[in-house]
Amino acid sequence: MKDIAVLVKASLNPEIVRQGSDGRFDIDYTPLKISDIDRNALEEAARLKGLLGGKVYAISVLSWGPVRARDKDVKLAVQEALAKAADEAYLIEEEEILPTDQAIVASAIAALMKSKGLRPAIVLAGEASVDESTSQVPARVAAKLGYSFVGHVNKIIEVKGDKVVVERDVEEYTEILEVPLPLVISVTQSINEPKPPTLIQIRMASKKPLHVLSAKDIGFTSRPARSIEEMKVVTTSRKQLIIEEANVEKAVEKLLELLHKEGVLR
Amino acid sequence: MIMVVSQAPEDVGELLAVARKLGEPFVLAFQTSAEKVDEVAAYGHKVFRLRSDRPEALFSAANRLYGELRPQLILGPSTKNVRDGLALLAGLHDLPLASEVTQVSDEGSYVRYSRGFMSERVIMTAKVPKPAVLLLKQKAVEPVGKGGKGEVVEVSSEQQGVKLLERRPKQFSGVRIEDAEVVIGVGRGFKSKEDIQLAFELAKALGGQVGATRPIATDLKWLPEDVWIGISGKRIAPKLYFAIGVSGAPQHMAGVSDAKVIVAINKDKAAPIFKYADYGIVGDLYKTLPVLIAKLKRQ
Ligand SMILES: Cc1cc2nc3c(=O)[nH]c(=O)nc-3n(C[C@H](O)[C@H](O)[C@H](O)COP(=O)(O)OP(=O)(O)OC[C@H]3O[C@@H](n4cnc5c(N)ncnc54)[C@H](O)[C@@H]3O)c2cc1C
Repeated sequence: MKDIAVLVKASLNPEIVRQGSDGRFDIDYTPLKISDIDRNALEEAARLKGLLGGKVYAISVLSWGPVRARDKDVKLAVQEALAKAADEAYLIEEEEILPTDQAIVASAIAALMKSKGLRPAIVLAGEASVDESTSQVPARVAAKLGYSFVGHVNKIIEVKGDKVVVERDVEEYTEILEVPLPLVISVTQSINEPKPPTLIQIRMASKKPLHVLSAKDIGFTSRPARSIEEMKVVTTSRKQLIIEEANVEKAVEKLLELLHKEGVLR
Repeated sequence: MIMVVSQAPEDVGELLAVARKLGEPFVLAFQTSAEKVDEVAAYGHKVFRLRSDRPEALFSAANRLYGELRPQLILGPSTKNVRDGLALLAGLHDLPLASEVTQVSDEGSYVRYSRGFMSERVIMTAKVPKPAVLLLKQKAVEPVGKGGKGEVVEVSSEQQGVKLLERRPKQFSGVRIEDAEVVIGVGRGFKSKEDIQLAFELAKALGGQVGATRPIATDLKWLPEDVWIGISGKRIAPKLYFAIGVSGAPQHMAGVSDAKVIVAINKDKAAPIFKYADYGIVGDLYKTLPVLIAKLKRQ
């Protein structure tokens, strides 16, 4: 029996970016949502669970504050993890570490696992979050735990004994690797097609244990080293002249006329 | 001292441009080709040569040099292998790490950097204490030229548990969409690989090239990955970008934000792409494209 942990991040939703009056990013306006690729990690956890027979834990560290304002969004992300794959979830909500940096998130995850005695054979995560997209937390967690690490996995081909065979994707090639357990894997969006949880799964999720913990609860005292000085919105305004015209001939003629005026046609 | 991790001779000029402003650089060449190591040494700095291209080996070698030489900054390109190797190093020593960095400045015992955030719709500027790992975005700075001949010494890495069983090179088209004046972006609105012929016909009529969203290139493999546009693919700045059957996800749009004019064809009036377009037609691409191609041919 091998347990699986899945790392789930509630990220700032990059589709909803508003500029404050001073040109700054109005961060409070942007809600958190589960990071897209974490859904692929959850789908893979659900698949592997059947093969490995152990428990699945979801672990999430709230990254953006204040806790009171973000609590609902982060719990929604964790509920999705419980509905899709996890038997139990751990959520760290700590005002003192907000906004987090990636070193703090990885350290908090490692501290949580230690204090709760979690020893998963496989830790799954998305290859990048949708807000910061730095692709570093999975590798950091591996280094902290002393686990093997393989990033950007397109396919988990086989689990045999204490080894896993995976396909990894980099810019110029894909490669097949055999990696020993325990292991942290970051997955790509190509690994599967995540299905939304069913109504029954969603209902079941609300009955599963969700442990909300503070830094003190896991004996964690570190604080972020990064200080964010500025967040400026990049603006490119577009004309947004949209042609809604049932007659295709007319619609195309109108478009060509506009493009001629722009001088972008040969 | 600054440790510069180079994966290819093409990255080292840009990395050194930043490194020389911040301190005394030495290079860790993460590279199996001896010729390429010579090219890296031709910038005049000492080169530690790691004969491997595995991230676990990079982690081990970088960790050794970090322990012996105590660099205050570690710079590298934002490639997957370098990210993976140096994120392990950062994790082990709790060093700050940022990738796709566009600007760096020295603040004594701190370093300040800027990078895109929220699919590059926001620029974040942050300060972190040294030592830190900063991975640069490609083409963000002017590279320095070659000059001198650096000493090359071998650096070994400890054998790690990961075993390479097989490697398959990707098939690329060799088309440089970043040089094209007109680019036709193919999205999942296309129902089959064969249908992309319509996009090629439009490209021909406009004198352009065909690009793709991520799922078209990576999941479906209907087009090669070197025409994949977006935050994790190519960034292009054509005169005219045609997004066809493309929903307009922020990760895709980050790759075309510098296009002069963006045109969208999408059957869903509510698709986000229309907010990022100059001109658009709400309509089925299968009905619109044949008419558009025919009219352009006639002109
Ligand atoms: C960290 C991260 C990085 C990413 N990096 C990238 C990246 O670099 N590049 C990238 O492209 N994506 C990237 N993505 C994926 C991105 O979020 C989107 O999933 C992707 O861009 C969507 O591709 P699409 O528009 O082709 O498909 P969809 O979102 O499925 O959109 C298809 C569109 O076609 C329209 N359509 C359907 N049929 C027709 C028809 N007959 N006629 C006209 N229109 C039609 C639909 O209305 C829809 O709007 C990334 C995601 C993450 C999480």
